[in-house]
Amino acid sequence: MADRVEATRVEQLEPSGPPVREIGVRRWLRENLFNSWYNAALTLVFGAVLAWAIYASLRFVFVTGRWEVVRRNLTLLLVERFPRDQLWRPWAAMFILAITIALFLGASAAARRGDPTRQRPPLTPVEVARRMWPLAFLAAALLLLSRGLLPVVLVVALSAATLGARLAGERLPPWLRRLRYLLLALGGVAAVEVLILFGGEGWERWGGLMLLLFLAVGAIVLSFPLGVVLALGRRSRLPAFRLVCTVYIELIRGVPLITLLFMGAFMLGFFFPPGFPRPSPVVRALVALTLFTAAYVAEVVRGGLQSIPHAQIEAAQAIGLSPPKVTRLVVLPQALRAVIPALVGQFISLWKDVALVSIIGLSEVLNIAQRITQQTDFRAQGLQAEVLAFAGLVYWVGAYWMSRESQRLEKRLGVGER
Amino acid sequence: MSDAVRSGEASVASDGGPMIECRGVEKWFGKFAALRGIDLEVGLREVVVIVGPSGSGKSTFIRCINRLEQHDRGRIVVDGIEVTDDIRHIQEIRREVGMVFQSFNLFPHLTVLENVTLGPRQVRRLPKQPAEEAAMAMLERVRIPEQAHKYPGQLSGGQQQRAAIARALAMEPKVMLFDEPTSALDPEMIKEVLDVMRGLARSGMTMIVVSHEIGFAKEVADRVAMFDEGKLVEEATPERFFNDPQHERTKLFLSQIL
Repeated sequence: MADRVEATRVEQLEPSGPPVREIGVRRWLRENLFNSWYNAALTLVFGAVLAWAIYASLRFVFVTGRWEVVRRNLTLLLVERFPRDQLWRPWAAMFILAITIALFLGASAAARRGDPTRQRPPLTPVEVARRMWPLAFLAAALLLLSRGLLPVVLVVALSAATLGARLAGERLPPWLRRLRYLLLALGGVAAVEVLILFGGEGWERWGGLMLLLFLAVGAIVLSFPLGVVLALGRRSRLPAFRLVCTVYIELIRGVPLITLLFMGAFMLGFFFPPGFPRPSPVVRALVALTLFTAAYVAEVVRGGLQSIPHAQIEAAQAIGLSPPKVTRLVVLPQALRAVIPALVGQFISLWKDVALVSIIGLSEVLNIAQRITQQTDFRAQGLQAEVLAFAGLVYWVGAYWMSRESQRLEKRLGVGER
Repeated sequence: MSDAVRSGEASVASDGGPMIECRGVEKWFGKFAALRGIDLEVGLREVVVIVGPSGSGKSTFIRCINRLEQHDRGRIVVDGIEVTDDIRHIQEIRREVGMVFQSFNLFPHLTVLENVTLGPRQVRRLPKQPAEEAAMAMLERVRIPEQAHKYPGQLSGGQQQRAAIARALAMEPKVMLFDEPTSALDPEMIKEVLDVMRGLARSGMTMIVVSHEIGFAKEVADRVAMFDEGKLVEEATPERFFNDPQHERTKLFLSQIL
C-alpha cells in the first residue's frame, strides 16, 4: 500500500455525441409488434379486425351506402327551413365569421411579435393543415354530397378570404389591432344579424347545423363566465352569495339535462309577468343549456381554484394587490389553465347534448336526419345507417376539433411551467 | 417581557418615531400561543435579524407586520400606520412593506419582468413603459437582467429568489421583510442572494430578516433578536449576541447552530 495517494488526473475523454438510434421498418416491427409469441398473436388478430373494419367502412361509404337521401336533403340538414331564396344569408354569415376570426388571429399574432416572451413558430401550411383537417374533411364531404359547382366556388372563395384576412390582420394599424376583441364580438353579432335583419329569418325558426352551431357556441360563450362567477361565489366569504351559488350548483347538477329542457319549454313562462312576450323555444333551449353547463363549469373551475397554493395569494397580497385583483390577475389565470382539459371536455359534452333539443321540438342535425328517412321517396328502405353516419360525422368533427385545439392550447400555455 | 435581556440601543427614525413599533403582540392558533407578547422596535435604516428554533414564532411575527397573519392582541405600527382590520390601512402598509418568502412564490404564469411590474402597474398605477424601465433597473440591481423574459420555472432557485427580491423592491418599499430567504436554496446559490441583501442593507433599507445565516447576521445586522416559544428572549448587537449571550436559551441555541 502506498503511503500517500497521488492525485491523479483523469484522462479527459471527448464525448462522442449522443447515441444514434436508427431503426429500420423491419426492426421496428420486430421490436414492437412481434417481440413475443403472444404479442405476435395479438398483432395478427387485431390487424385482421382493423383491416376488416376499414374494408367494411370504405365499402359502406363508397359502394353500398345509398347517399341519395342525404344528398337530396343536404340543405335541409344544414339550415332546415331557411328560405331557399335567402341562402345567401348563411353564406354571408360564414364569410363574416371567417374573416373577422382570421383578422383577429392575424392581429393577435402581430401583437405577439413585439413581445419576446410570446414568440411562436411561424404558421406554416403544414401546421394549418394539421389544425384544420377535421373541418376541411367535413367541408369536402359536404361538397362531394352537394355535387354543385357553386358551393365549390364559394368554399374556395371562403378559404381565400380567410387566408387574406389572416394576412391582412397582421398588417392592421396598431390602434385597430388593440380593438381586435371588439372586432371579434362585432363579427359574431354581425353574422347573426345578417341571418335575421331585413327579411331574414329569426333564430326561432332556425334549424339543422346552423341551429346546432348557434346553440352550442351561444351556450359556451354564456356558460363560461357564469360558471366562473359561480365557482368564485362558492368560495366567497359572503355567506349569502356562497349559499346561493352552492344551492344553484347542487340543484342543477342533480337534475338531468332533459328535465331542464322540458322545464325551459313548459315552465319558463310561469316566471314572466302576464303580457310579457314569451321567449321562443330556441331561447328556452339556449337558457337551459347555459344554466346546465354553467353548473358543471363552476365545479371544474372550483377544482382549479383549489389547486392554487395559498402562498400565491399571500405573495399577491404582499405586493399590495386588492382582493379582486389577487383573484383576477394571479389566481384565476393559473386556475383556468390548470383545468383547460376538463373545461373543454365539458364543452364537448355540451356540443353533443345539443342533440337533445329535439325533444322540445327543435330540429338540429340528428333530428332532421331521423325525419328524412320518413319522406315518401325514402320511406322503409332501411336508410338509418346512412343518415346516422352523416349526423355522427357532423358531431364528431366538432368534438374532435375542440379536443385537438384544447391539447394545443394546453401545450402553448404550459410553456415555462415546470 | 420581563425576562428579555436587552442591550444596545434601537436607533430612531429621522422623524423621531421608529419605522416599526410592536407592543405586546400576541397571536393564537386555536389554543396554541404562537406569539406571547412581542415588544420590538425597528428604526429607520436598521437591519434586525431574527433567529430562533423552528416553531418559535419568527415567521408568524413578521407575517403579522404586513397582515398576512392577524395578531390577536397588542399593537403594530408601521411608519405611523397601525395594523388593524381596516383594509385601507392594510393596503397602505403592504405598499410600504416588501416581503420575500422562503419558497420565492413568484407567479408562474407571468414572466420575470411581468412579475416585477405587476405591483407597480396595478397598485401604483404606473404606465407600462416606465414600469418596465424601473423593473429592468431592479433586475440589474439583483443581477439578473438577462432573465427578464423567462418564466420563473426556467430559473434556478437563486435566480428566482433574486427575482422575488426585485419584485418586492419594485414597489419602492420603506421596509423589507425576509422570511428565511435562503433556507430553500442550494449552498452555491445562498451567496448570490445574500450578496443582494447585503447591498440592500448598505443602501440604507430598513430590514427584518428571519434567517440562520450567522455570517450575514454578524456582518450586516444592527441587532440580532432571539425568539423562543413565542417570546423575544434576547436582543443585542451581533457582537454581544454571538460572543457574550446572556440568556441560557440563546447559549443553547448558538451552541447547536455554530
